[in-house]
Amino acid sequence: MIWNALPALCRGAGISLALVASSVAAGMLMGVPIGIAHVYAPRPMRAALWVFDRIFRGFPEIVLLFLVFFGLGRLPGVSIPPFAAVVIALGLRSAAYQGQIYRGALEMVDRGQIDAARALGLSMPRTIRHVVIPQAARFSLPSLSNEYSIVLKDTALAFTVGVVDLMSRAKFLAMRSRETLIVYALVAVFYCVLTHAGVAVFRIIERRVAIPGLGQRQRRLLP
Amino acid sequence: MSSFAALAEAIPRLLDGLLVTLRLIAVSAPAGLALGLVVGLLQVYSGRFSRGLAGAYQLTFRGVPLIVQLFILYYGLPRVGITMTPFVAASLAFTLCSGAYHSEYVRSAVLSVPDGQMDAGRALGMSLGQTVIHIILPQVFRKALPGCSNEIVYLIKYSSLAYLVTLVDLTGEGRLIAYESFRFFETFLIVGLIYLALVSIAASFLRGIERWIRVPM
Repeated sequence: MIWNALPALCRGAGISLALVASSVAAGMLMGVPIGIAHVYAPRPMRAALWVFDRIFRGFPEIVLLFLVFFGLGRLPGVSIPPFAAVVIALGLRSAAYQGQIYRGALEMVDRGQIDAARALGLSMPRTIRHVVIPQAARFSLPSLSNEYSIVLKDTALAFTVGVVDLMSRAKFLAMRSRETLIVYALVAVFYCVLTHAGVAVFRIIERRVAIPGLGQRQRRLLP
Repeated sequence: MSSFAALAEAIPRLLDGLLVTLRLIAVSAPAGLALGLVVGLLQVYSGRFSRGLAGAYQLTFRGVPLIVQLFILYYGLPRVGITMTPFVAASLAFTLCSGAYHSEYVRSAVLSVPDGQMDAGRALGMSLGQTVIHIILPQVFRKALPGCSNEIVYLIKYSSLAYLVTLVDLTGEGRLIAYESFRFFETFLIVGLIYLALVSIAASFLRGIERWIRVPM
């Protein structure tokens, strides 16, 4: 039973991973400018961001998914395939969260770093690009790893709009074989492995790019 | 447009659903917090065996999507003769899952209390239990609260998964209304806004507690 289920579950897991990768990437694409805007944009733009942030961090993931798939997808002239609907919903949600992650990371960069770069004659955009971003990117890695594990678990909702992911394969197998407990326990193992393997990869990256001393310099010598 | 008239009719039904959602949260938020506190303390102070058990619980329940946990409880366990009502299954799943996340905040809060606090308590003649209750825990509550508040906000949002085990909560009622009226966008927008209101109220309430119990440095 378990051996027969494995190929189907593996194929489903592939789709789940594709969903995570696309959603986190889409979230990053939108989240980086959002994070920068949180810190550096003028006030009216920050107010608009606040509304975006409230909606995409305050609505349950499944409601966002239904809004995109059933709400937008049924408007005349619009058709959104299930896979795209999941990536749009989870991508926007992730963009809001990642925006906060990058905001926090940018604010962690010591103000003196910016002053020093400016004093050396770097323009503001170059300061941000060469001094602020390299540090902020490292500060944001632990939260990003957390975000991966959250988005992975959220993709388990994709079956509700008809994506044939890991969960949907499991539902089908469970229905056909009636071995609900074995199948869902097996799926739990799959997700558990994917979550912790992904987090381990992030930890390796963190160690690879670590700069000795960075992040421990929070304590000032003088009050 | 009769759109808003139709929505006005839907409001009482959404309130019925909201009531189910609130009951789910009222059961599982405190239960999850209590479980997380116990597990978090076990992870620091107990013997090797129960420490390992607590760690395994945390890794498992934080590594598996809530919906899978819910399906195991509601659709899987009947295979071995354990059946429960949708409400019990949902609140149990929410409790176990959020407990795992709470326990991590509690654990790191306990570890962040300086060792000297424990030594000072013991040196004053307090037992281990007394020191934990009177010296460590008050500090742990304050340090763990921001993380735990976040977790409660997540719990409110994820309570929407209860509809997948046939419970007609706010999301379930919203789905029924949407399919009957074919007003998917408006219905889910209103459902989402109700969740947003719940989340905002909970967050500002918890922030109030944080401010209230803060110890001036």
